[in-house]
Amino acid sequence: MIKPLNVFVSRGLSHHPDKRQVEQSVTDLLALDPRVKVTMIPNLYDLRPDGDAYSQLKELDEDFIVISWMFQRAAHWILDRNGVLGQTGEVEFGAEEDDDADELEDDILEEEEKQRVIETLDIPDRSIYCLQFQHPSEPQHYVDEVVRIAESSLMQWISGTPDQDKLDRFLNAEQRHEPELSAIEEKAGRRWYPVIDFSRCTNCMECIDFCLFGVYGVDNQETILVEQPDNCRKGCPACSRVCPENAIVFPQHKSPAIAGAPAETGGLKIDLSLLFGAPDAQEVAARERDEQLMLAGRAPVEESGNANGSPAISMEPRQVQNVGADKDDLDHLIDGLDSLDL
Amino acid sequence: MTQPLVFMMGEFPAEIPADRQYAKNHMWAMSDPSYSTTIRFGFTAYAVRLLQDVYFLDWHFDAPAPVAEQQEIGSIESKKAESSLYSPLSGEISSFNVQLLADPSGINVDKYGEGWLFDFQPSDHQTDSLLSADQYVDHLAEVWEITQRTIKGQLN
Repeated sequence: MIKPLNVFVSRGLSHHPDKRQVEQSVTDLLALDPRVKVTMIPNLYDLRPDGDAYSQLKELDEDFIVISWMFQRAAHWILDRNGVLGQTGEVEFGAEEDDDADELEDDILEEEEKQRVIETLDIPDRSIYCLQFQHPSEPQHYVDEVVRIAESSLMQWISGTPDQDKLDRFLNAEQRHEPELSAIEEKAGRRWYPVIDFSRCTNCMECIDFCLFGVYGVDNQETILVEQPDNCRKGCPACSRVCPENAIVFPQHKSPAIAGAPAETGGLKIDLSLLFGAPDAQEVAARERDEQLMLAGRAPVEESGNANGSPAISMEPRQVQNVGADKDDLDHLIDGLDSLDL
Repeated sequence: MTQPLVFMMGEFPAEIPADRQYAKNHMWAMSDPSYSTTIRFGFTAYAVRLLQDVYFLDWHFDAPAPVAEQQEIGSIESKKAESSLYSPLSGEISSFNVQLLADPSGINVDKYGEGWLFDFQPSDHQTDSLLSADQYVDHLAEVWEITQRTIKGQLN
C-alpha cells in the first residue's frame, strides 16, 4: 500500500467563523482522500519545539504539506527554526499571474552575486510544501493542489530504481487505507519571535548588532541564528527593518513585507514613499527599539547622530571594537599563521 | 542651454537639466522669474522613470496651505507603483497644477515643463538645502542601491 502524504493543517489565531469554516472544510475534504493523511495542529508559529506536534513532525523523513494562515516563506522557516528541515516544495496554488510585473525590474536592476547562508547548510533532500490559507477562498482549490503535490511527490518517490518494497507498495496501490484524520491538541500560548530566511540571509550580523534583547546568537560555524526566540519583545519587528536582505520574518506582523510576503511584487504595486521622502526604515526601527527598551525599563539608545542628523543605529563590527584589546592565545596562533605567508 | 547631466539607472539614462535645483525627494525646483520668491516644483526624470505611467494624483488639501518639511501632502499612483508625497521644504504651497488633477499623465509627457506639480513659497533660508544638478546626481548615486532594493520589494 502506498504511504499517504502527510498534510498538517495549522489552525489560525483568528476565531473568525468564516476562517474556521475554511480550515474545517479543507480538513474534512482531505480526510476523504486516500492519498493523504491529514492532521490538525494548533498555530504552527506558537508551537513549542518540545511539544507533541513537533515531535511528530520531526519523525517524518519524507515529503509533507503544511497549510497555514502564514506566507510560504514564513511557514517554511518556522519549521526550519524548530528543527524540521527540508527543501522548499514548489506550490502552484495562489501563485500570481505574472504578466508584465517584472518589466521594471528587468531593465533597471543590476544582478548581484552574494553568498546566502542556505548554500552552506546541510538540508535533507525532501520537500516541505507550505500552502497559505486565504480568505475568502474555495476549499476545493486547496484539495486540488494537495492532490497535485501528492501525485508529483509520488512520481519522484517511484522514479529511479525502486526497491522491491516500494514496487510492491506501488503495485498494490488499490489496497488503499481508510480515510485518516487526526488532531494534535497542544496548549500553545502566543509566541513572538523572528525567523530567518536563510535563502536570503548573508550572515552580515546587522541583526545581532542591532537587537539589544539578546535574541540572536551564532552557532559553532559562526552562522547567525535566533538563539533565544522568547527574549524577543512582543510586537517589535525592528530587526526585520534593519536587515539589508529582508531575510527576517515576523510571521504574525500586519505588514506583508515583514510577515514574509514573496519578494516578487506579483501584481502588488511598489511603494516608493521611502524614496519620495517618507521617514526611512532605519528611523522607524530605532524608534521601535527605543519604545521596547523603555517598556523593559531600560534607557533608550542615545541619538549620537551622524552628519545628516539621523540617529546612528548601526554599531561598529565587533572586530573593530576589539582592536587594542589584549590578544589571547587564538589571536597569537592566527598571527603566527598569517606571518607564515602560506 | 547647457547640456543636461545624465544619471544611468541601469540601462536607462535619466536626464538632469542643469538650469534648476533639486530636492532629495526627487523633485526639481525652479524659480519663476515673475515671482522672485516662488519656486516651482516637479518630478525629476529619476522619479518619473520609477513611477512610469501615472494614473492618479491627489493632494490632501487645497492651496494655499502651510506645510512643514517632510509633511505628507498627497499621493500618487502609477502603472507600477504608488507613493505618498511629501513636502520638500517648509513653507507654503501657493498653488497646485490643476491641469494634472484632470489628467496626471502630463507628468509623463513633460515632466520638466507643463507637468510641474506645485508652486511653493519657502520659509526663510529653506532653499539652502536644495541641491545643484551636480549634487543631485551625486545624491542619486548614493541612493541608487536603496532604490533598487525598494523596487525588488526588499525594504520594509
